[in-house]
Amino acid sequence: MRLEELATTRSPKPAVTSSLLTRRQILKAGLAVTGLGFVSGCRNQSGKSVHRIAVPLQGMTAEFMQLWVRGAQAHPAIKNGLATFTVFDGRMDALTQANQFDTIITRRYDAIIFIPVDVQAGVGPATQAKAAGIPVIGSNTLLADRSLYVSYIGSESVISGEYVAHGVIDRLGGKGNVVVLEGLIGQSAQVERRQGINKVLARSPNIKVLETKSANWSRAEAQSLMENWLTSHGNTINGVISHNDEMALGAIEAMKARGIDFATHPVGGIDGLTDALEAVKRGEMSTTLQDANAQAQGSIDLALKVLIGPSYKPMSDIWNQYPGQLSWDDGKKTEYLVPWTPVTGENVDRLLAIRRAG
Amino acid sequence: MMSTPTKQMGRAGARSRTLGSLGQLFARYGIVIALGLIVLALSVLSDNFLTSGNLTNVLRQVSINGILAVGMTFVILTGGIDLSIGSVLALTGMVGASLVAGSKPHSPILAILAALAVGVVAGACSGIFIAWVRLPAFVVTLGMLSAVRGLTLIYSQGMPISNLSSGFKFLGQGTFLGIPVSVVLFGATALAAWVVLAYTVYGRRVYAVGGNMRSAHTCGINVRGIIFSVYALMGLLSALAGVTLTARTTAALPQAGVAYELDAIAAVVIGGTSLTGGIGGIPLTVVGVLIIGLLNNGLDLLGISSYYQQVIKGLMIVAAVLIDKARHADAA
Repeated sequence: MRLEELATTRSPKPAVTSSLLTRRQILKAGLAVTGLGFVSGCRNQSGKSVHRIAVPLQGMTAEFMQLWVRGAQAHPAIKNGLATFTVFDGRMDALTQANQFDTIITRRYDAIIFIPVDVQAGVGPATQAKAAGIPVIGSNTLLADRSLYVSYIGSESVISGEYVAHGVIDRLGGKGNVVVLEGLIGQSAQVERRQGINKVLARSPNIKVLETKSANWSRAEAQSLMENWLTSHGNTINGVISHNDEMALGAIEAMKARGIDFATHPVGGIDGLTDALEAVKRGEMSTTLQDANAQAQGSIDLALKVLIGPSYKPMSDIWNQYPGQLSWDDGKKTEYLVPWTPVTGENVDRLLAIRRAG
Repeated sequence: MMSTPTKQMGRAGARSRTLGSLGQLFARYGIVIALGLIVLALSVLSDNFLTSGNLTNVLRQVSINGILAVGMTFVILTGGIDLSIGSVLALTGMVGASLVAGSKPHSPILAILAALAVGVVAGACSGIFIAWVRLPAFVVTLGMLSAVRGLTLIYSQGMPISNLSSGFKFLGQGTFLGIPVSVVLFGATALAAWVVLAYTVYGRRVYAVGGNMRSAHTCGINVRGIIFSVYALMGLLSALAGVTLTARTTAALPQAGVAYELDAIAAVVIGGTSLTGGIGGIPLTVVGVLIIGLLNNGLDLLGISSYYQQVIKGLMIVAAVLIDKARHADAA
């Protein structure tokens, strides 16, 4: 049976031309002959080889990661069986993720789409995978050593910081007192969003930051923190800038309890969570949407490009969604940046409809 | 409070007795003095601290941890520990929310009862393994921490549940006679637990099991039944905290309650309940809960970094255990 498989593996396939695949076939053949082969399961019903992609991601408790996986599942190549992907839940822990890389390398996945828990701590595992000859495609989060990614698709965190600060400060007419709710200190999203916010604050001389504190991305913590700030600063707080939507929603609950009018007291978040979109619809906050679907589907196209070669044409329609801002360019670029979508009263209904359909 | 007055009276010398009793006083009520000092300091340092609005906030903010700490007091009094409460809180909050979300919500009463039932079942599972299979509580509840968090994610598909009916949200946002409902729940829970522990046969048995399991057994106490019951009760109170938290944040989140067990254990330990069981009680647990809540609130009001907050909380926990140790040495 092994020999039969060996024979089919060797039979010429027109689409497969890349040297990478040829090398893999030789490797597989070698393993099969020595009786160690794990060749079975690499093929779909029609007999064509299936590309196995491992997806070590940050943690499945975050809604954004759920949306990412949902986007990946909807990719045409996954639906028609050209590729399969396996999610490894990093549980927001760098060590867990490093251990999962060992498994991925041992199980010889064809490619890795990597969403590192930490910018620095992800370098080691990615280096290992590269050394083992498994291509690593980055999605959502960069690595300190960018050269470890064959290619990367994500959205620039710094820009989202600028958006949220602008959103709040513009609504205040460039004048007033704000408080800033920060994410888990030290995480790259927190560091970069802070950079973006500070950039805008530096250009806004009439905005005074009354308080800056971390509520650890948590809605419940932000709610308590905001209650305490409303106690200490009373009605002098004019606006809230939050590193994510969860915390913005917590602040909104605290403000509602005080009967604060959101028309004059803007709250801004980042991510475009479903709850936040609904809050935008009610006029309680503003947010910028990070397109999880585009990051997921784009990364699968980039992985298949590496596995199949230059003949591969992208199958996802995300490459047509941002005309002039995001294009495939034959999959040759090393970095693809998905634009952020500021959510407003005009587009919120459409975005909610897309979210519900998914 | 359990104490051993006869032994302390036996000390020789008036001078050492005075010092000893002062030490005793401090050891027993040091934590109350600390609470007083914190209140005094915050009143001086912040104009907004001693306002009814802020004090209501503090009580509302501590109510979740307070409900959990009351249950944890029972568990720790028997010499046990429950690490799974944060996960049980998340699961029960999710179950409650799923019944009152959307366009056709069920009655909030039904949702709360369902959540409480799930909590009791989760607690009972731990209780069975600890009381009858005799596995260490630490290990069993550590397993439950992981398993129940997993069930929460499976049940919710990892997504938050929001758009809860207003009847349900009343639990977290409404007021009763001008007092937030969550505070009323915490107060009622603490009061009932205090009465049960201090004045009922069941309460005496909880102390007896924690004080000396073997002699409790010899006295004819159903030790396993008592141990089982405290974990079931802990599950019930975790569920009460779960629905209250969900109503307060107006959404059930799959990652809710992570590490809440640590704050509940901290409050109980700061309140002087001995981790080896048999010594402690609800009133000082409430003091412990208030101290943690006031530190968070006060340092927010004063604009002090949360980094210091964590250091101070850590030092308080160690100090509380030191006091406990000194008390044991005194009694011996």
